[in-house]
Amino acid sequence: MDARRLTPADKLYMTLNYSVLLLFCATALYPFIYFLALSFNDGYDAMKGGIYFFPRVFTLENYAKAFSNSLILNSFYISVTRTLVVTVASVFLTALLAYALSRKGLPGRKYIVFFFFFTTLFSGGLIPTFILFRQIHILDTFWVLVLPSLYNFFNAIIMKTFFDGIPEGLSESARIDGASELSVFARIILPLSMPVLATIALFVGVGVWNDWFTGQFFIQNENLQPAATFLNKMISEASFQSMTSSSGNSGSAIQNMTETQMELRGVTPEALRMTFVIIITTPIICVYPFLQKYFVKGVLVGSLKE
Amino acid sequence: MVPKGVVIPGFEQLKKNKKLTKIWQFRHIYLFLLPAIIWFLVFAYYPMYGILIAFKDFKFNLGILGSPWAGFKYFEQFLNDSSFYDVLRNTLSISALKLIFGFPAPLILALMLNAVMHKRIKRVFQTISYLPHFVSWVVVVTLLQKILSPNVGLINDIRYQMGLDPIFFMGKPELFYPLVIISDIWKGVGWGSIIYLAALTNIDPHLYEAAEIDGAGRWSKLFKITLPCLTPTIGILLIFSLSGILNAGFDQIWLMQSPATLSVSEILDTYVLKTGLQQGQLAYSTAIGLFKSAISLLLIVAVNNISRRVSNVSLW
Repeated sequence: MDARRLTPADKLYMTLNYSVLLLFCATALYPFIYFLALSFNDGYDAMKGGIYFFPRVFTLENYAKAFSNSLILNSFYISVTRTLVVTVASVFLTALLAYALSRKGLPGRKYIVFFFFFTTLFSGGLIPTFILFRQIHILDTFWVLVLPSLYNFFNAIIMKTFFDGIPEGLSESARIDGASELSVFARIILPLSMPVLATIALFVGVGVWNDWFTGQFFIQNENLQPAATFLNKMISEASFQSMTSSSGNSGSAIQNMTETQMELRGVTPEALRMTFVIIITTPIICVYPFLQKYFVKGVLVGSLKE
Repeated sequence: MVPKGVVIPGFEQLKKNKKLTKIWQFRHIYLFLLPAIIWFLVFAYYPMYGILIAFKDFKFNLGILGSPWAGFKYFEQFLNDSSFYDVLRNTLSISALKLIFGFPAPLILALMLNAVMHKRIKRVFQTISYLPHFVSWVVVVTLLQKILSPNVGLINDIRYQMGLDPIFFMGKPELFYPLVIISDIWKGVGWGSIIYLAALTNIDPHLYEAAEIDGAGRWSKLFKITLPCLTPTIGILLIFSLSGILNAGFDQIWLMQSPATLSVSEILDTYVLKTGLQQGQLAYSTAIGLFKSAISLLLIVAVNNISRRVSNVSLW
């Protein structure tokens, strides 16, 4: 549309449109700015209120305390290790699955696809899953943070759709030249699929980084607890003392939490929580905008029917 | 091709061999599938077999098969349990409210973003709108609790400056649903709009040009071209939403609920977790879970079939 041809009604509409969008984006961003200001402010001073955009009594004490506490540091170490391991393994395994499903002429492909697709429609549910984890002895081990997160069939569909778009001739000619399926996959398919691999890596990585549930209910050893779980325990411990009965904290976790807070004297638990939110969110904010151009396309191909 | 009526000895055998050769040709591909098949058998299908414990008096030491049968005892128990109906009502209320208010939100955002003509500004708006999707519910609920906290949270801080009394927002049952809906939209609307934006770019621009020549205005273009072109996308997303009507959102509700709001905030998923993992009523909890999964499966099949018949939109 040509800007000169805009009628007054169009102009009004445009102004309104931009205003609402600006307002929405401000709402999406502001809570993080608010927390950023609070995390750089002295906790006792913050209790007086009145901090909205900038810290009033600037301090790095909250970050210093957070990064010097062994339980917090350890939870980050667990989260980082877990995220790296799961992301790399999951992207590779999902690609293998998606490539197999994208091979035309595979005998029984319809049945194989149904075998996987059915799991997205129906699941055993929480208790049978818990019993499985118990029976294969992965409860309260690092494995429970890794193994159950390796596959997600929706990710495989997104990858398969991408692979379907790679011209058949490329891999066909390699096969005629005597390349094995594995080398076709590794030398032709994977290098051509970096955008979709990055997208799935982002989805898997963010999902695992943000997962608090596994740590909360399948892990008891606090040295194995991921950062997201630690943050949740900090919240339920402090804001709703009375709520602990319904939040699944074991007695020892509460005791430990109190010890941690003793160790963190000098900063308020409140300020520490704000700081923790900022620390746990920063890696995500740093990564996703760069992968945006890929996942926008990825979501499209993956969500529309073949 | 073999002409009709001509019998070639061994032809059937040959056909069979052909199939076997083909399978042999693809042997490496089956090997590629192996890790996935093993994983899905263990982590998806074995728990389905574990559903048997809903019909058993499950004891860990006896195992799933060894535990004595209980018949439909646990299903009867929850059908006779008054808290089950409260939980079902809460689940359906939250889902229905999310559907009514949350479903149109991404569509509206996408239409608004689509009207932004500057490419770069549109991209900035989009990037910011995705942000909440990428942070976890733990973080979102922390933000919410701090902003609404009675102790110098943002809102009560402002109220205090204005001389008003603080309100304990998160502890009021009547405010629970509005807060659930608002935070759900806040977190999901940007992400939800992606698929509509993608569908919007697929609409043939000639349609709009032709309509403009015919004198169509902004609104008639919206109702006569844009929305009809988006119908398949809206349809698919509606199928998903309707079949997930028993999913009110575990993470969000679990993290937002407190003893004060339990009467309106207990949903099927949180109830299953409490009765199962926290109170150890494994069979009872599995029975409720199975009830939920079975209804959801029926719903998705039914809604998909209806949709295919009525509008030719279908998941499979």
